[in-house]
Amino acid sequence: MSATNRDQLPRGAAGRGTSASAYIHLRRGLRQWGEALPYLALGVLGTSVFVIYPMIQNILISFQDYSIMPNAVNTWVGLDNYRYAFEDPNQKFLIAIRNTFLNVLFTVPINWFLAVFFAVLINMQFVRFKLVFRTIYYLPIITSWIVVAFLFRFLFASGEYGFINYLLYTKLGWISEPIGWLQNYWTAMIVIWLFHIWKTVGWGVVIYLAALQGIPLDLYEAAEIDGAGAVQQFRHITLPMLGPVTIFVLINLVNGAFNIFPQVYFITKGGPMDQTQVIPSLMYTQAFTNFNFGYASAMSVMMGFAVFLLTYTQMKKIGQQRLL
Amino acid sequence: MLKRMMLTVLAVMLVLAIAACGSDGGNGNSSGGGPSSAGSGGSGSSGGSGGQAAKKVVLEYWHTYSDAEEKVLLEEIKPLFETEHPNIELNITRMPYEGLKQQVIAGVAGGAAPDLMRMDIIWVPEFAKLGALQKVNELDGFEELKAQLFEGPMSTNYYNGDYYGLPLNTNTKVAIYNKKVLESVGLSNPPTTMQELADVSRQLVKDGKLPGIGISGVHAWALLPYFWSLGGKLTNDDFSQVEGYLNSPESIQAVETIAAWHEEGLIIPAVLGGEPSTWDGMKKHEYLMIDDGPWFYSILMGEASEEFDVLRDTVRGLIPAGPAGSHSVIGGENLVIFTGSKHTEEAWTFARWMLGEEPQKIMSKVGMIPTNIKAANEPTFLEVPYMKEYVEQLETALPRTPNPQWGEMEGIFNLAVEKVLRGESDVTTALNQATQQIEAILKE
Amino acid sequence: MRVRSKVWQLVIYAVLLMGVVVFIFPFLYMIMTTFVKGAYTLPRPYEIFSAVPNLDNYQIVWNRNHFARYFLNSAVVTAVSMAGGLFLGALTAYGFARFQFPGKEALFRLFLLTMMIPGVINIIPQFIIIKNLGLVNTYAGLWLIYIGGGVVGSTFFLRGFFEGIPKELEESVMIDGGSNFKIFWHIYLPQSLPALGTLAIFSFQGTWEEYFLALTIIKSEVMRTLPIALMMFHDQHATNYSWVFAASVIALLPVVLVYITFQKKFVQSGYNDGAVKG
Repeated sequence: MSATNRDQLPRGAAGRGTSASAYIHLRRGLRQWGEALPYLALGVLGTSVFVIYPMIQNILISFQDYSIMPNAVNTWVGLDNYRYAFEDPNQKFLIAIRNTFLNVLFTVPINWFLAVFFAVLINMQFVRFKLVFRTIYYLPIITSWIVVAFLFRFLFASGEYGFINYLLYTKLGWISEPIGWLQNYWTAMIVIWLFHIWKTVGWGVVIYLAALQGIPLDLYEAAEIDGAGAVQQFRHITLPMLGPVTIFVLINLVNGAFNIFPQVYFITKGGPMDQTQVIPSLMYTQAFTNFNFGYASAMSVMMGFAVFLLTYTQMKKIGQQRLL
Repeated sequence: MLKRMMLTVLAVMLVLAIAACGSDGGNGNSSGGGPSSAGSGGSGSSGGSGGQAAKKVVLEYWHTYSDAEEKVLLEEIKPLFETEHPNIELNITRMPYEGLKQQVIAGVAGGAAPDLMRMDIIWVPEFAKLGALQKVNELDGFEELKAQLFEGPMSTNYYNGDYYGLPLNTNTKVAIYNKKVLESVGLSNPPTTMQELADVSRQLVKDGKLPGIGISGVHAWALLPYFWSLGGKLTNDDFSQVEGYLNSPESIQAVETIAAWHEEGLIIPAVLGGEPSTWDGMKKHEYLMIDDGPWFYSILMGEASEEFDVLRDTVRGLIPAGPAGSHSVIGGENLVIFTGSKHTEEAWTFARWMLGEEPQKIMSKVGMIPTNIKAANEPTFLEVPYMKEYVEQLETALPRTPNPQWGEMEGIFNLAVEKVLRGESDVTTALNQATQQIEAILKE
Repeated sequence: MRVRSKVWQLVIYAVLLMGVVVFIFPFLYMIMTTFVKGAYTLPRPYEIFSAVPNLDNYQIVWNRNHFARYFLNSAVVTAVSMAGGLFLGALTAYGFARFQFPGKEALFRLFLLTMMIPGVINIIPQFIIIKNLGLVNTYAGLWLIYIGGGVVGSTFFLRGFFEGIPKELEESVMIDGGSNFKIFWHIYLPQSLPALGTLAIFSFQGTWEEYFLALTIIKSEVMRTLPIALMMFHDQHATNYSWVFAASVIALLPVVLVYITFQKKFVQSGYNDGAVKG
C-alpha cells in the first residue's frame, strides 16, 4: 500500500485528544516510521554522529573556556566568548561580518548579471556550439579550490611580473605602477571577489540556459509579428519568464557568498593583518592558530543562527524545487 | 519484504566496510604502516608491530624535513639509532606545512599525538603553556646535555621556569651580497656596518639601480636583525615585560632609522610586498643584498646555472653592525615530547641521542646547523662552503620572545612598523601604542 | 531570440569567445608555467611564454614524494566515497520524498540547520569519534566521515528532484506487486540519472580535493591522498612553482575527465542543481 493513501483519517474530529484517537495516531505514526526508517536509518545515523553531534559540541564549547587537552576541566563561562566577539579591541569579528556583507554585496549582483548575460547570448538562435560554450563556462566550477586559489595568487602576484600586473601595466599601460594586489585590503578583496565570480558564474549560466530553453518559442514569434525588436523581446518576454528562476538563483548566490572560505583562506589567509577574514576563516585561524576554541565556536553559532533566520522563510522553497 | 530490503542495505554497507578494511593492505587499525623509506634503510619494515610487540617500543615521530633532509634521516639516522637501541623502533612520518598546527591540535585533543615531534621553535611555549609538552629539565642527564648546546637556541625551549624541549637544529640569517652588484659600486668586500650599507644603498639609487638594504618584509623575522642591531629591544631579559623596552629611546631610534631609510628609498621594494622578491632579485643580479638562512644555499646550490651560481656569485657577511653590534634572529626547530606519550623514557633516549655529536654531524651534511657546540665547530662542517658565517652569526643571535603569546605580540609589532613605513603614523606613537597593546596581552 | 544583423552576431560571438578566454586562460597559463625549469622564484611572463613545451617537470613530480602512490590512493578513496555517498544520499532522499511520517519536516529542517553552521571546527570531534572507533589511519574511518557527513547535502539536492517524479510511474510497479525498494531501484534512480550525474561530479570533486580531514585521519605516508602530496611541494622555505603546477595539472585531470564524461547529463538537470557551496 502506498504511503500516500494513508493520510485519509479526518483530522478535525478525532484530534481532540481522546485516548482512542491518540492511540490510533500513535500507531499510524509508528507504522509510517516503520516504512520510512530503512531508507532513513543510515543517513540519519551518519548525520547524527558526524554532523549533529559535532554541532552540539560546538554549541557547548562556545559557552566554555575550552582547552584541547583531553583531561582538562573546561570551565563554564557563559556568554563571555560571545561578549568578546563584540568587545574585541581589534574588532576581528565585526570586520569579518563586514567582509561577509561586502562579499555578498559585490559578488551577487555581478555574478547574477553575468550569468543572465552569458546565458542569453549562448541561447541565441544563431549561436552554434552551445554545448561547447556551456561546458567551458562551467569548467572552473569543477576544479579544486585549493589548486585554483594558488593559481590566482600566482596570477595576481605583486610587482610587474605577476601576470595581471604584466597585462595591465606592461602591456596595456592602464595603470601607472604595478599593484600590490594582496598587500592592501581593497585590492585583496577585489582578488577574492574576482576569484569567487570566476569560479562560480558558470553555475548560474547553466541554470539560466535551462530556464531559457524552457520558454516557448511561439511567444517570441508572436512578438516578432507584432514588430518587437530583440531588446523589447528581452524585456517583455525573457525577463518576466525568468522570474522564479531568478529568485532561486539569487538565494543560492547569496548563500554561496556567505559561505566563502577557501577563497579567503587560500588566497590571503585572512590577511593582510586579518583584514580580509570572513567568519569561517576567522574561526579557523582563531581555533587552530591561537587555540581559541571557545571564541571560534561562539562565532560559528552566531553565524549559523543568522543564516538560519535569514533563510528560514526560504527553506520551503529550497526544499521543494518546483519552479516551472 | 521489509526485512529483506533492510538486510540488503545492511549487506551492502557491510561489504563496503569490509572492502575498506581490506584495501588498506592489512594496515588495520594501528599506525603500523611503516616509514616511507626511499627504498633503502635497513630496518624500515612494518614488522615491528608483529609478535615482538611486547618487547619493542615504537616511537611515533613527526617531522617536516624537506626531501633531501628526510633522505638522510631515513637512510642514516634511523638505522644508526635502531642499531644502537634495538628495543626501540622509529615510526617516522613527514607532515606538510599547511594545516600542521591543526594536526597537532587534533592529535593532542584526541589523545593521538605522536611521541616526539620536530616542532617550530615558536610553537614550543604555546604548547608548553597548554600542558601538552613534557618538561625535560627534570629528566635524566638534562644538565649535562644542556651544557653541550648553544645557549640561544636552548632558550627557545624555555617557558615559565622550565624547559620543554631540546633544540634539534638551529639557523639564523646572515647578509648575502651579490658580487656583481657589489663590484659595480666599486667594492670588493661587503659593508660591515649599517652606516656603510646605507651609504652604498644611496650610491646605488643615485646610479639608478635598485636600493641595497635588504629588509624583506614588515614582519618580525625580517625586521628583527635590523631592529636589534640598531639598538632596539623587544623585552627585558626575562621576556616578561615590554614597557620600557619596546618603547625605549633606543627602540624608537632604531625604528626611526629604518623609517628614514625607507623614506629615502634605500630599502628594497620587497619590504612592502613589491617585486622582485628577495631570491629573484639576487638571482637576477638586481639586488645588492638580502638576508636569509642557510637554505638559500642548500636549495639553490642544486640549480646552479650560467646566469646564476649561488656559490660563485654571492658573498656572505654578518648582519651589518649597528650601535648594538650585529645581532641576527634565531630560527630552527626543537625536539619535543608530548605529555600523552606512553613511552617517555624511550622518547627521551631518542631525543638525547639526536643531540649527540654524531647524529648532529650527520644532519649537518644537509645544511642543518647543529645546536651541539662541538658538532657545529667541526672542521668538516665549517668547510661546508657557506657555513662559516652562519655559525659565527649564531654566537650573537637572539631568539624571538619565547612566550605563548608571541604570535599576537608579533602581529602588533608588525603592524606598528608597517604603519610607520606606510607613513600612517610616527614612530613614537606607533611604538607606544604597540607597547600598550602587548602589555595588555601579557597580563592575560 | 533572433538577431538578424550579421554585425551583431559577430559582436556576440566575440563576447562569448572572450568569456572562453577568461575561463580557460588561467589553466593555460598554469600549464605553460609547468614547462619552465628551475622555478623557485616567480616565473616571469616572458619566461613562461617562451618556454618550450616539455614533460620534464611532470616526470619529476610523478616520481617525487610518492606522488603516483598518492594518486592511486585518492582514486580508491574517492571512488568508494562517491558510490557510498550517492547511494546513501539517494536512499535518504527517497525516504523524505516518498513517505510521510511524523516529524518529517522538523527532521529535514534539522538537516538543513547543520548546513548553516560553519563546520570548520567539526574536525576535532569527528577525529575523536573515529579514534574511539579505532579507525584512525584507515580508509574506513575516512569513508565514514565523508559519507556520513555528506548525506545532508546529497539528500537535500535529490529530494526536490525525487518529489518531481510523477506518482503514476510508481503505480505500474505497484500493480505488479512491487515493494518500496523496487520503486526506488527501478523508477526513482533511473529517472534521476541527470541529477545523480551532477551530484556525482560534485561528490567526486569534493572528495578528490579534500585536504584537512584526509590529513587528520590518515597518518601513514603510503596511504595518503593526492591533496597532501600537492601540499608537500610547498616547502618550508621556497616553493617550486613549476612543480606545484605540474602536480596540480595532474591532480585536476581526473576531475575534468569525469566532468566531460558526465556533463551531458546536465542538459536536464539545470533547474535542480543545488546551491553552489563556497
